[in-house]
Amino acid sequence: MHTPVSNPSALQTVGSVLVVGGGVAGVQAALDLTELGYKVHLIEKSGAIGGVMARLDKTFPTNDCSLCILAPKLVEAGRDPNIEILTLSELVDLTGEPGSFTATVRKQPRYIDEEICTGCGQCTLYCLKQIGNDFNENLEHSQAAHIDYAQAVPTSYYIDAKACLRLNHDTCGLCASVCQAKAIRFDDTEKVIDIPVGAVVLAPGFGRVSDEVMARYGLGQFEDVVTAFEHERLMCASGPTGGEIVRISDRKHPKKIAFLQCIGSRDENCGNNYCSSVCCMYAIKQATLAREHDPECEITLFYMDVRTHGKGFDAARERAVREGNFRVIYARPPKVEDVFGGGLLLTWATEDGKHHSEKFDLVVLSQGLEAPDGAEDLARSAGIDLNPYLFAQTSIYTPLATSRPGVYVIGAFQGPKDIPDSVTQAGGAAALCAGQLAPARGTNTIKASFPEERDIAGEEVRIGVFVCHCGINIGGVVKVPSVAEYAKTLPHVVYATDNLYSCSQDTQRLLVETIHKHRLNRLVVAACTPRTHEPLFQTTLREAGLNRSLFEMANIRDQCSWVHMHEPEAATEKAKDAVRMAVAKAAHLTALAEQQLPVTPSALVVGGGLAGMTAAMTIAEQGFEVTLVEREKELGGRVKLLTADRFGRDPRKAVAELIAKVKAHPKITVHTKGTVAAVSGYVGNFTTTLDTGNGSVVVNHGVAAIATGGRPYEPKQYHYGESPKIVTQLELEKKLAATSQPLAKNTKQVVMIQCVGSRGEDLSYCSRVCCGQALKNSLRLKKLRPELGITVLYRDMRAYGFLEDDYRAAREAGVIFTRYQVEQKPEVIPGKGGAVAVRYHDPLLAETVEVDADLLVLSVGIVPEDPTALARMLKVPVTAEKFFLEAHVKLQPVDLPVDGTYVCGLAHSPRSMDETIAQAQAAAGRACHPLARGSITPAPIVSKVDPELCIGCGACESFCPYKAIEIYKEAKSRKARTLTASCKGCGICAARCPTMAIDMGRFTLDGIMAQIKAFGQGVS
Amino acid sequence: MSQIYSPKILGFLCNWCCYTAADSAGVGRYQYPPNLRVIRMMCTGRLDPSFPLEGLANGADGIFVGGCHPGECHYIDGNYHALVSASLVHEMLSKIGIERERFLIEWASAAEGPNFVKIITAFTKKISALGPLGQAEGKDGEELRLQLAAAAESARGRKIRTGLINASKEMMKGGDFSRTAIAGLVHDKCDKALTELMGEFAP
Repeated sequence: MHTPVSNPSALQTVGSVLVVGGGVAGVQAALDLTELGYKVHLIEKSGAIGGVMARLDKTFPTNDCSLCILAPKLVEAGRDPNIEILTLSELVDLTGEPGSFTATVRKQPRYIDEEICTGCGQCTLYCLKQIGNDFNENLEHSQAAHIDYAQAVPTSYYIDAKACLRLNHDTCGLCASVCQAKAIRFDDTEKVIDIPVGAVVLAPGFGRVSDEVMARYGLGQFEDVVTAFEHERLMCASGPTGGEIVRISDRKHPKKIAFLQCIGSRDENCGNNYCSSVCCMYAIKQATLAREHDPECEITLFYMDVRTHGKGFDAARERAVREGNFRVIYARPPKVEDVFGGGLLLTWATEDGKHHSEKFDLVVLSQGLEAPDGAEDLARSAGIDLNPYLFAQTSIYTPLATSRPGVYVIGAFQGPKDIPDSVTQAGGAAALCAGQLAPARGTNTIKASFPEERDIAGEEVRIGVFVCHCGINIGGVVKVPSVAEYAKTLPHVVYATDNLYSCSQDTQRLLVETIHKHRLNRLVVAACTPRTHEPLFQTTLREAGLNRSLFEMANIRDQCSWVHMHEPEAATEKAKDAVRMAVAKAAHLTALAEQQLPVTPSALVVGGGLAGMTAAMTIAEQGFEVTLVEREKELGGRVKLLTADRFGRDPRKAVAELIAKVKAHPKITVHTKGTVAAVSGYVGNFTTTLDTGNGSVVVNHGVAAIATGGRPYEPKQYHYGESPKIVTQLELEKKLAATSQPLAKNTKQVVMIQCVGSRGEDLSYCSRVCCGQALKNSLRLKKLRPELGITVLYRDMRAYGFLEDDYRAAREAGVIFTRYQVEQKPEVIPGKGGAVAVRYHDPLLAETVEVDADLLVLSVGIVPEDPTALARMLKVPVTAEKFFLEAHVKLQPVDLPVDGTYVCGLAHSPRSMDETIAQAQAAAGRACHPLARGSITPAPIVSKVDPELCIGCGACESFCPYKAIEIYKEAKSRKARTLTASCKGCGICAARCPTMAIDMGRFTLDGIMAQIKAFGQGVS
Repeated sequence: MSQIYSPKILGFLCNWCCYTAADSAGVGRYQYPPNLRVIRMMCTGRLDPSFPLEGLANGADGIFVGGCHPGECHYIDGNYHALVSASLVHEMLSKIGIERERFLIEWASAAEGPNFVKIITAFTKKISALGPLGQAEGKDGEELRLQLAAAAESARGRKIRTGLINASKEMMKGGDFSRTAIAGLVHDKCDKALTELMGEFAP
């Protein structure tokens, strides 16, 4: 069957986007695109969206529950009327031009009608054909009729065509007889669909290093050698062992676990010379979880280099290693052997040349990432180029653009990367699509509609309580069923139950059904934190025809099970108290009217470096006005200090072009020599005063993006400044760009020292870019003078991703790399006439070596510009390291916690040029959400004055920080009233009113008093 | 009944800083004593002076109020107004003869999970040392709770609240947001009314 195209005119820009891949990157891109006003066709090759993140138990560095933070997004994508999800689908052809493509998609049959299937699971129960459970890494069985995982979106079962007895042998068919919904369709067929789209975002994720490669480490031969993905499922409560880490061979808890890194990464033998960029982190996470599972177990991690270069990653690793009491060994055991008497033998050589061997109970292989399966087919279908490793080819200056205009790439297909970087790229690609398709914004989308709200005013209070296990996150500590039982005994509670995951799509459906069935008019969910999950449940309330204010959460995870992990009894008591208090408050909740506020359709961008200019351009391209303020006289920022990228091109040229574009853009107003003097307002309606070279300027804007950047660390160590022979990498860059004689004639020996200032010197963090910069500059020096001796003294060479190519190239070019220990740093000895000698310990020779350096290059770290003043004005938090703190490290990596404010570039964390550009595009995309929406609906938690009680004293008016309450005259008496559009719900007025005439929406006096009273009642 | 005494602590946390810090302590798996029960508010500025008194009257042995650091309030100056309310609570506790350390107002930013843990751990220890309400005071706990209920009632009364309005006004005008300055203002503006009112239910 081939559905014909509705033939859009070639000139017509189509307001739809095809997103290929339903992992976290693809789902985020889809959600961002619909927010920006575009219809999305999301195609996924498996039976459900969620990708690899859905299979993870926890996420590094916070050990947050992976599915818990992902599920709300999956549910949101599933219920978004502007996202059409096509599962079991792949892109087979893409014709046409940017703005007006035709995507040809082949959709395999599910054999179960998605629209009708209720997700009851009867088909699986009766299915006779067992297959491996791919979601659980084939560590257990599933059936031919199945669903990938309980929280899957779409919440519909499907039949594995290769296995089904009916489809292959015309027998069985039991599922069709037991399906109450009559959803089984054995006559379902493959469909080829042509979809008109304006742009395409590729997010197919990654493939895995083949079993062949891992067979070298005993995988397949020894049962107790497992991949990290298998180990992840063993850790997970919904995994094959219910969250027990056991050996496959004897189902016993391993007492000695080894994690082997770089399996199929940094390995020329298997063709993967690149670094997979995520394994160092996930191994630390898995080791931490293994420790939680067994406090006695011995845990060893084998590293080549420890590459924890992300924001806060080093600190998280150090804490994990310290608290988990892990043994970290710098070595790469070449193989795993079986020995007599059981156990797995590892043999390794340490850097001092000594050989060691030991037996382990369980060996976990940190399996690297590869280009996705079928990358070449996808590239052919989409018409894009691949790099030699079969990842999508992109450029440093357009990191999200493929070789074909209008086709973007995000996530691991662009290069191995972690979840935050994938989510960031998703936001960036959405912004680029929105810019490219700006004329067609809103042409293909419809508005989400909810049933009419039920008027509950006359009803008796009927509260439903749902207590969440959150896998084992809560259930592993708190006795969840007993909390649910307890809830049933509380006043007004007419229904209470417990769920494995309250945030999954099937539970949302259950919530709606339960609300109808028991005619609930208040809902209490005892689970995680309202800060992240309240919006999800409130939307569910609206779907059930209830006002969203009739909802209350009891935080029994973040503030209970997670912080009292070793006190299950006390945690259970606390959870009961929390539920009792939430129920008491819920009884006093009332429906509150919503208000819509207009949004000023423009943005302020603070900082005119690479990040700020990129953000400004990306916002302006989407059709919104931008004010760009830069502190210096000129735009450009610190990126102008770089004189070559790793491919030998001059970034200054690219920056000059960007500056020209920014200056010429009709929608961008630039203020140089400008700083932010004051900020007031809130999302949609900010007013900012700028101090500029031309005096004070007041700007009204709906959103703000912060890109205040960073600067190089100024070294005081290693005798910097005492000899012209001691320079920083940036100073070397400048020398290398000189046209004549970049190096003194007699320069024979160069020494580079890494981590100057970083990783615990003055700066506690890793500056991320210095290793790559040292490699790049070493290669530049070698190109200039191949006979030059270069020694790089390093702690861990953090050449992540494709930078590993440079690391190998540098070694091949003869650059010597010598690791130094933090407790035994290199020593610089200044000599006469500016001579410099460097003394360091050589672990190979096991002795101290001294070399005369004709040039000593210090790889200095990155320091953020002081954010304090701006952070205070915006009321956003900063980290101890003085970087702006994002709203959520995994899933909101560029949002600041205050709505309508965003961060990118070095103000967020150290990062390279391409990463900065992608992040700035992401910030620009996210910033345009409120602008594209045109209005905001703030939480209806505003104050309300009772005119009967009000005496018109005006105290509230004088204390309101937002001028949101005013005195008016009525029949000769003065009364206060709230200007709801301006009220932010702080409640100062209520706390100060002399006659208790003011109350707050949702945080009412009665509600809080009820909580206090309930607190006092205690658990009997 | 040889159970070890486990104090009951009620906390009022602001949504933007302290509540977030408490969440991030969880995400980081920092452990602290399980005695705290939390009421979330958007801002500590919402803290009616009667709330902590009601908390004690209803069975708490200690009350914690957690907000944003000075100068970092999400609503500009709500935490300063909270200090005004807190000063009144301390005044009233002194008048009744209750250890002022049973009531603590402290700050932890959204990024300070470990700091929140430190504060709560120390406070729990403190309250454990003081024992159930009345023990450190050498008084009958039940009687104290009755007095606290009466104090809460008068904290909702016009007389005291007018004093607080005046204190808040002077604080905003003077621009000195230090704890001692605010406590001084509240004492000046409320002491007379307090002495009168509290006299009625003093032991």
